Amino acid sequence: MTTLTKTLSLAFAGLMLGLATAAAQQPATLVVPQLGEPKTLSPNFASDSLGFAPTSNVYSHLVAIDWGVNKGTGAYGDLAESWTTSEDGKTVTFKLNKAAKWHDGKPVTGHDVKFTFDTIIRKKYPALVVLKNVKEITVPDDNTVVLQLIDPEVGFVPMLAQVSTWTAKIYPKHLWEGQDGFDTGPLVNAPIGSGPFKFTRWEKGGLVELEANKDYFRGAPKVDRLVFRQVTDVNVARAEFDSGRLQFLNYEYAPPLAEIPALQRDPKVKVVFTPTHFSRDIQINLKKAPLDKQQVRQAIAHAIDREAMNKLAFSGFWKPAIHASVESQGDLINRDAKFPAFDKAKAEKLLDEAGLPRGAGGWRFDVSVTNPNFPDCKAMMEVLVQQLRQVGINAKLEQFDQATWFRRQAEKQFDISCYFTRYGPDPDAFREHFMTGGGRNNMSYTNPELDALAQKAATLNNKDERRKIYHRIQEIIVTDLPYINLFNEQKTTLIRAGWSGFNTEPEAFDKAVTWFGYYSVVPPGR
Amino acid sequence: MRRYLLLRVFQLVPVTLVVIVLNFLLVHLAPGDVSIVLAGDNADPAYLAIIRERYGLDRPFLEQLWRYLVQVGSGDLGVSFRSREPVFAEIMSRVPATLLLVGTSLVISVVLGTLVGAWIARRPGSALDSSVSALAVALFSMPVFWLGLMLVLLFAVELQVLPAMGMASVDGPRDGVGRVLDVAQHMILPVLALTTVSFGQYVRLSRSAVAEVMSESYITTVRAIGFPERTILMHYALRNALLPVVTVLGLQLGLVLTGAVLTETVFSWPGLGRLIYDAILARDTPIIMGAFIAMSVTVAFASLLTDLVYAALDPRVKLT
Repeated sequence: MTTLTKTLSLAFAGLMLGLATAAAQQPATLVVPQLGEPKTLSPNFASDSLGFAPTSNVYSHLVAIDWGVNKGTGAYGDLAESWTTSEDGKTVTFKLNKAAKWHDGKPVTGHDVKFTFDTIIRKKYPALVVLKNVKEITVPDDNTVVLQLIDPEVGFVPMLAQVSTWTAKIYPKHLWEGQDGFDTGPLVNAPIGSGPFKFTRWEKGGLVELEANKDYFRGAPKVDRLVFRQVTDVNVARAEFDSGRLQFLNYEYAPPLAEIPALQRDPKVKVVFTPTHFSRDIQINLKKAPLDKQQVRQAIAHAIDREAMNKLAFSGFWKPAIHASVESQGDLINRDAKFPAFDKAKAEKLLDEAGLPRGAGGWRFDVSVTNPNFPDCKAMMEVLVQQLRQVGINAKLEQFDQATWFRRQAEKQFDISCYFTRYGPDPDAFREHFMTGGGRNNMSYTNPELDALAQKAATLNNKDERRKIYHRIQEIIVTDLPYINLFNEQKTTLIRAGWSGFNTEPEAFDKAVTWFGYYSVVPPGR
Repeated sequence: MRRYLLLRVFQLVPVTLVVIVLNFLLVHLAPGDVSIVLAGDNADPAYLAIIRERYGLDRPFLEQLWRYLVQVGSGDLGVSFRSREPVFAEIMSRVPATLLLVGTSLVISVVLGTLVGAWIARRPGSALDSSVSALAVALFSMPVFWLGLMLVLLFAVELQVLPAMGMASVDGPRDGVGRVLDVAQHMILPVLALTTVSFGQYVRLSRSAVAEVMSESYITTVRAIGFPERTILMHYALRNALLPVVTVLGLQLGLVLTGAVLTETVFSWPGLGRLIYDAILARDTPIIMGAFIAMSVTVAFASLLTDLVYAALDPRVKLT
């Protein structure tokens, strides 16, 4: 090889290398659409559904869950590297990741965790719902936090992880200790956290912009810039996605399921269905006659055709649920305990026997059906009304705005309502829904055996014993029928081909850091 | 004249007072309060109580009203319940975007609409007149959000020549000429949607006004003198025909701050209309009240301006 060719080839190689690095250095921006403006960027003092996404990426959490919880994987550590629970179930000790740093460079310590949780408890902020069982928090050394519980609670860590999705983010003590609460001071709308992205700016009415935290303790994210842009019209967002200017549409912008087959044929689009650990079901008000009769509720269960409902409401894309649980719960599901199957003749017979024969106009009795303001619930209830009418129950659909529906539900002003029962991240959720006086027991359901069992299961560390109890609880529920499970809830998201690692995709499970995390996203060519 | 202006400005005080009391009452009567919005539906009752106390919502209605009046009297509009930022700053940060959008569209639709209306009024009943009039009615009755979506479909999705949302590109320049061009590009579709709809209204208005004036005897006189038709139309007829146009313009000018919630929503425009809409949904009383005060002041000034323009256009009107 002559000197000239050597020089030329070297130069060529250098040029290619230069081009390659230039291409690699092209910053990757991910624009995530949001339906509106966050209230603030301080996630711990208010329930702020539009703030969840930006703040979950700026702040870290002690423990986290993401959509991986639908595979039954439960909580994983975020700032916590590991944790242990004492024999009596009353002491939880967390070891923190030593590499974690605030965005201003200071290390994250146990004192930050204590300061945050103490403030939440003192101010009774929303995360109190899980922290109310905490008696005392101690910090034996910088990397250890010990939570003393008032009562043993097996589900404490999974519940803390779930609540951390929305609130209970860890705040830097050295920057907040001068403030009276998490709603005052300069950091309310200019957060400094320890998460994978740093806050850069908030254009009111427009967007919140974050940039990659190169020093993030799990390694720098692959997306360089994360922008939460307000796109207030669902149709405009869809148009922007179709034309390739948005890379991701989350479930709030999900297209009608009838359009899914066409999208599935498009090679430029990935359609992702993500089951959740919630169901779509109906709650029945047990204080209202004749719904207080078990026989009548059984007839209602027999009147429901889930397959037909699936076709009409969801174009057949959802999964009917016939147990008092959802698929994510694995061996916690009692597969022998089933809700009464579709059988119109039997429904009619039961209603006749219950002393409710068809009267004038063929109607047996009147009932009102309502739903929270979710499109899926609305679609289901429209079908339910027709199915009930077929067995002579004069059902009518009543709809309210979200706040009014919540109030009426809490005041027990309903007959039958669509609901979103939760089964994870810990099965202790049964207490909230089915125990006498439980926070989501709108049905006024009470069964002493179930109460005793659920109370006991919450303190049991032995997995097999716990499972047996929850199996028995499901038997009781499908017999008493305070609610009827209909479907496993499912989220639909659309992703541009080439992008991957979004929180609803299985490859991101246990890596995304919360339901709103974008840490695991990989842009094309990375 | 100065006395007249002073008087009009002073009239603002009772008007604003009535607006405050009425709206305070309305917000108070609406079910739910900000504590539920802030605390979420699974909230601890103790936390709800703390929020109510912190925001003074636990006080009797009259005391809340009195406190608010005293506060506004001292020039302080308070702090937003949601964002914890001063109401005045929140509102002012949204005013430029809304003024730019609604103001531009208003100017274009008034000027263009009036001229087109006057032009077709020359020959009432002609084919041109009836077709343009029909078109004007069609435009006027088009729902603005639908038109907006159609424009997005055509220009942003099919042709891909214009941006569909926001006021600026995510990666666009932050200042200088580049910023101006970027914003101008983002303005085209929302302004087009808004203008198309109000344009029709001004065409109809100016057409009927000019047609009426054209049949008056003084026009016949100028025609007989032999002035060219264009001079008659622009100089003698239009000036008198402008009065109803000015009235409607005055009304719309008063609503300039709120008149575009739908357009702002379709195009994700960061304007005041959306701020007010969100505040109402969240029962953010300080923002709602602050916005209503700003609106009542605008309406009052717009009507003052209308009266001044009236006096300038019509020498028979005297301001005393």
